[in-house]
Amino acid sequence: MAEIGMAWTARGAWTGIAAAGAFGTPHDGVRVQLREGLGIASLIAGQEQEPALERALDSRYGLSLPRGPSAVSSASHTLLWSGPGQWLLLAASSAGFAEDCAGLAGLAAVAEQSDGRAVLSLSGAMVRQTLAKGCMVDLHPRAFPVGTTALTSIAYVNIQLWRAEDGPEGAVYEIMVPRSMAGSFWSWFSASAAEFGCAITVSRD
Amino acid sequence: MRIACPHCGSRDVQEFAYLGDAAPRRPDGMEATAAAMVDYVHQRDNPAGSHRELWYHAAGCHAWLVVTRDTRTHAIDAVETMAQARAGASA
Amino acid sequence: MSASTQPFRRGDGGLIDRSRPLSFRFDGQGYQGFEGDTLASALLANGVRLVGRSFKYHRPRGILSAGPEEPNALVELRAGARREPNTRATVVELFHGLEARSQNRWPSLAFDLLSVNSLLGPALQAGFYYKTFMWPASFWERLYEPLIRRAAGLGRAAGLEDPDHYEKAFAFCDVLIIGGGPAGIAAALVAGRSGARVILCDEDSRLGGRLLAERREIDGQPAADWLKEALAELASLPDVTIMPRSTVFGVYDHGVYGVVERVTDHLAVPPPHQARQRSWRITARRAVLAAGAIERPIVFSGNDTPGVMLAGAVRTYLNRYGVLPGREAVVFTTGDEGWTTARDLFTAGGRVAAIVDPRTALDPELTALAARIGARVFAGSVVCRASGSRALTAVDIRDASGREQTIACDLLAVSNGWNPTLHLTSHQNTRPVWDEAIQAFVPGTMPVGLSVAGSAAGRFSLAEALADGARLGREAAADSGFDSAAEPATPITDPEGVALSPVWRVKGGKGKAFVDFQNDVTDADIELAAREGFRPVEHLKRFTTLGMATDQGKTSNIAGLAIMAEQTGKTIPQTGTTIFRPPYTPVAIGALAGHHRGRDFRPTRLSPTHSWSQNQGAVFIEAGAWMRAQYYPRPGETDWLTSVNREVLAVRNEVGICDVSTLGKIDIQGADAVDFLERVYCNGFRALPVGKARYGLMLREDGFVMDDGTTSRLAQTHFLMTTTTANAGKVMQHLEFCHQVLWPELNVRLVSVSEQWAQAAIAGPKARAVLQGVVDAEHDICNKAFPYLAARAVTVGGGIPARLFRISFSGELAYELAVPAGYGVAMMEALMAAGAAHGITPYGTEALGVMRIEKGHVAGNELSGQTTARDLGLGKMMSSKKDYLGRLMAQRPALVEADRPRLVGFKPVDPTQRLRAGAHFIGIGKAATMHHDEGYMTSVAYSPVLGHWIGLGLLRNGRERLGERVRAVDPVRNGDVEIEICSPVFVDPEGTRLHG
Repeated sequence: MAEIGMAWTARGAWTGIAAAGAFGTPHDGVRVQLREGLGIASLIAGQEQEPALERALDSRYGLSLPRGPSAVSSASHTLLWSGPGQWLLLAASSAGFAEDCAGLAGLAAVAEQSDGRAVLSLSGAMVRQTLAKGCMVDLHPRAFPVGTTALTSIAYVNIQLWRAEDGPEGAVYEIMVPRSMAGSFWSWFSASAAEFGCAITVSRD
Repeated sequence: MRIACPHCGSRDVQEFAYLGDAAPRRPDGMEATAAAMVDYVHQRDNPAGSHRELWYHAAGCHAWLVVTRDTRTHAIDAVETMAQARAGASA
Repeated sequence: MSASTQPFRRGDGGLIDRSRPLSFRFDGQGYQGFEGDTLASALLANGVRLVGRSFKYHRPRGILSAGPEEPNALVELRAGARREPNTRATVVELFHGLEARSQNRWPSLAFDLLSVNSLLGPALQAGFYYKTFMWPASFWERLYEPLIRRAAGLGRAAGLEDPDHYEKAFAFCDVLIIGGGPAGIAAALVAGRSGARVILCDEDSRLGGRLLAERREIDGQPAADWLKEALAELASLPDVTIMPRSTVFGVYDHGVYGVVERVTDHLAVPPPHQARQRSWRITARRAVLAAGAIERPIVFSGNDTPGVMLAGAVRTYLNRYGVLPGREAVVFTTGDEGWTTARDLFTAGGRVAAIVDPRTALDPELTALAARIGARVFAGSVVCRASGSRALTAVDIRDASGREQTIACDLLAVSNGWNPTLHLTSHQNTRPVWDEAIQAFVPGTMPVGLSVAGSAAGRFSLAEALADGARLGREAAADSGFDSAAEPATPITDPEGVALSPVWRVKGGKGKAFVDFQNDVTDADIELAAREGFRPVEHLKRFTTLGMATDQGKTSNIAGLAIMAEQTGKTIPQTGTTIFRPPYTPVAIGALAGHHRGRDFRPTRLSPTHSWSQNQGAVFIEAGAWMRAQYYPRPGETDWLTSVNREVLAVRNEVGICDVSTLGKIDIQGADAVDFLERVYCNGFRALPVGKARYGLMLREDGFVMDDGTTSRLAQTHFLMTTTTANAGKVMQHLEFCHQVLWPELNVRLVSVSEQWAQAAIAGPKARAVLQGVVDAEHDICNKAFPYLAARAVTVGGGIPARLFRISFSGELAYELAVPAGYGVAMMEALMAAGAAHGITPYGTEALGVMRIEKGHVAGNELSGQTTARDLGLGKMMSSKKDYLGRLMAQRPALVEADRPRLVGFKPVDPTQRLRAGAHFIGIGKAATMHHDEGYMTSVAYSPVLGHWIGLGLLRNGRERLGERVRAVDPVRNGDVEIEICSPVFVDPEGTRLHG
């Protein structure tokens, strides 16, 4: 009906919580990238659907379906095991993600979660020491190599954590937090990383 | 306590929620009797020793699990998925 | 340099750094110590021996030990908000500017008026409080307890918020080693070399344990050299982590250990962003306990006089801290080891007046040592009394014939053997066992995965410590899958005498003889307990307080048992032992809480529209983990009711919007989705058409109501369920249970989408007009195209996916609009803009609550877990055509009897009267007793539409009593209001507004 001239702009999950900059001691022991604008969807397949889903994911993204707590990635997409028979599909960009989801609709119960999760990417010399202050999962490289994922909780916030390919400063951990608890998670994270110093960047799309 | 989730691996007990005895089977359907339902809802063994019990991996994979735990020592003999537990029960 | 300011400091020796002096204050007086000192060693270096007053008798007390077992030297540390009571001076690391005060003295440490308690001694003996202050009960609270608390007690808490920050942390390893003495280091070396991940914790700031305190040799070189090499090698191993200042305080199931790390306790103030303390939960495949041992005092008259010290502690002060604890010493020893104290005292420049040893046949090497250092030897003798008012001046020595003589001295070193530090071995509820050979309790059944090495196992020699450590370190690594190449050679140590004939108590001295210094328990108290029948060890403890408080009997339990054994003619093991529980030493609550205090006590959830509500000036309220907008005050509105009334009237007359994003939302898909819903809801969903929503009621299997909400059919096999905000997580877990445990054969997929959607209620006669300005034009939402209970996907803002539901909690024409959470704020702004011409008003949970009460809708107060569908007037929803959870149990006679409390409405007979939730219903003219209780008011609201207060409540047989009057009695707030029972639907009972 009426043209009200409102611009519908989306607000990132970290808006008002964290922004590019730095905090803590001046050491940059930890680097955090706030990952806005990802496409995220949960996929749940019945056992009879799994082979077809697997073929579709392989042909679309070149990704095979992890059957245990692993993460597999292509340049554009990541597939995370998120429980028995359940996965999360992540797209680096939300553009076109609705079509991604629509294409898989018959092969799994698909529910978009792009707006429901806040994601950050952690690296730096002191990243493990920081995570040890809340993460109840063993992140020693022998126990948690590249491509491992874990559903667990940090600071009483249920999270999903996975280890991406190593970066210039070694291990890179991605953490996905429920949007409503991003503020509380950040409160824990900033208190925990401050002694090592932390640099924040933002990635959009 | 640590519970070795068959899906996720060994995790702190803080990630799990406890329900109780895994033995009772719900008497489904319109033909179920009130007496059977009372048993199902209320009657529980409380053994000093090995106990098969339901735990939910609430902060993890959201799987319901059957944990065989010694109630005297907390020693855990087995942690099964529901599918494994059913297969074991029918075998 | 130091000599003038620290008269008891040796010129050289020890592990302190004399080039780094540190100033500190004790009871206001300035002193100097050195880096590497503890507060206790620095006080002794300055000749301060009186450091506190005792708990009950206010007796002068000094420093007994050099470790965490210290029962006497408890001080208040720091000032202001950082003031901390009951810190043990023996483990407080000295820092520049340290401020400490003695405790339990008034007005001053040297002159304590309450020391008259000491003269009242007989009146204050064990059991005194129980016997004296029993009657009348009210006197206890008002008189006795405050008095006792002032007279007795430990230090004062700061009473201010702790300014420091604390952390929790988690670690994992193959081998955890508890204790960094010779056994622990030997274990860490072997395990570390195997490649295993090793964590070595020690409560001290410096690793080495007794090696730091003794003059020993390993492999022909000074032990310090061996230690230096070992620590260098450990530091070079990448998977070995050394944690100093870290106490393992508890052993939990499955290899989980609790550890507190004192990160910056040794500094005046933590550096920016550094934690004060950190509590670790360490998960280890295997662990080796190498915690050493605690030396035992002897009970004799005046044994608490400042200057009476454990012999091992004397060696620690001499050799580690370069301090002479006294210039004129007597050594009272029941074994060979005490004699080394005499040797070390002499070597350090002290004079040893006498060595007293109850044994008659002494090794000639010992007597030769005494001759060499000029000490008189009293064989077959005991010290029966120590005297001195504020510090030791003399001891009385009694020989076998009973002849006594007095020897002047300012230090009495007492050596009576050691008790293994086995506390952690009994944290899994197993008891230590008595070892007759060493006259000590040793670990019994061990916790799974834990082994024990060296002194902690009762194997006290250095050679045994090194051998045990290497052997158990190797075994622990191998059990974790790391095999060592070769058996390591056990180092050779210098010889040491271990012969011992312990004496628990010396009778016959004049004056009090203390068993438990911290709780002021004397040998006479134990005898009294025996006479009065408090003989089992648990009774003994409670009757006398033996072994309670901060030291938990580390130095006292065994003597207490020994005296009880003697009284009852039993042996010590027959008398019993104590099972130790965590924590081994006190742990600050702050360390256990870590980050989670105040605002961070638990996570707070914020709605995707939170910032919009903030900008609208909302007052927020906690609703479970959520912060929800309670109401939106406008300028000039001074009380909440004014704001809420305005919001309610705006909705009833125009239109309002309210954030409802916090509702649980569960996406349910699959061929059997409808069958699944049929089983979890008591009402039917099979006939629900696609594009429609239906109110659903969920019962627990026991027949009571669990939760409610609307569920919409988005497609034939695709539903969206909503739950109450409070139960969202619980319902999801319940549905997973139903799906995975009860009916795995159903083809259904569940996932929470609560976080994905921002949702707003738009309610009021003009709701549709507002929405038509927001929903994209191609979606027809007129009353015919989008009737009551329609639920469909729409788009907003030119193609943004959204969902629109025509459902109403307020009873008005109402919708809920959901958009992806990122658009939550944009949605609220768009609704406000579109509603500006219609007088749109934001409303909060308070107005929401008023309107649902006006409509008689149930919410959390009514869904209390004690109400059935029938109780709530929803009995007709329970289907008779299908099986569902709770079906059979809801038919139980007690749940269907007519007399149950049923939901009805209430209004005050005098419309000016206010109603209160929680008030109980009592018949008119009846006494307000439990007997006359007929139910209670669950929810109340002021209805601005009706102009008076209204209430919902559960009243016995309420449905049949409309029009009757009862009283709402609220004794807590002195309320007693006559009320009329009415229908729970106060506004628009025909529901015409809903369909408008």
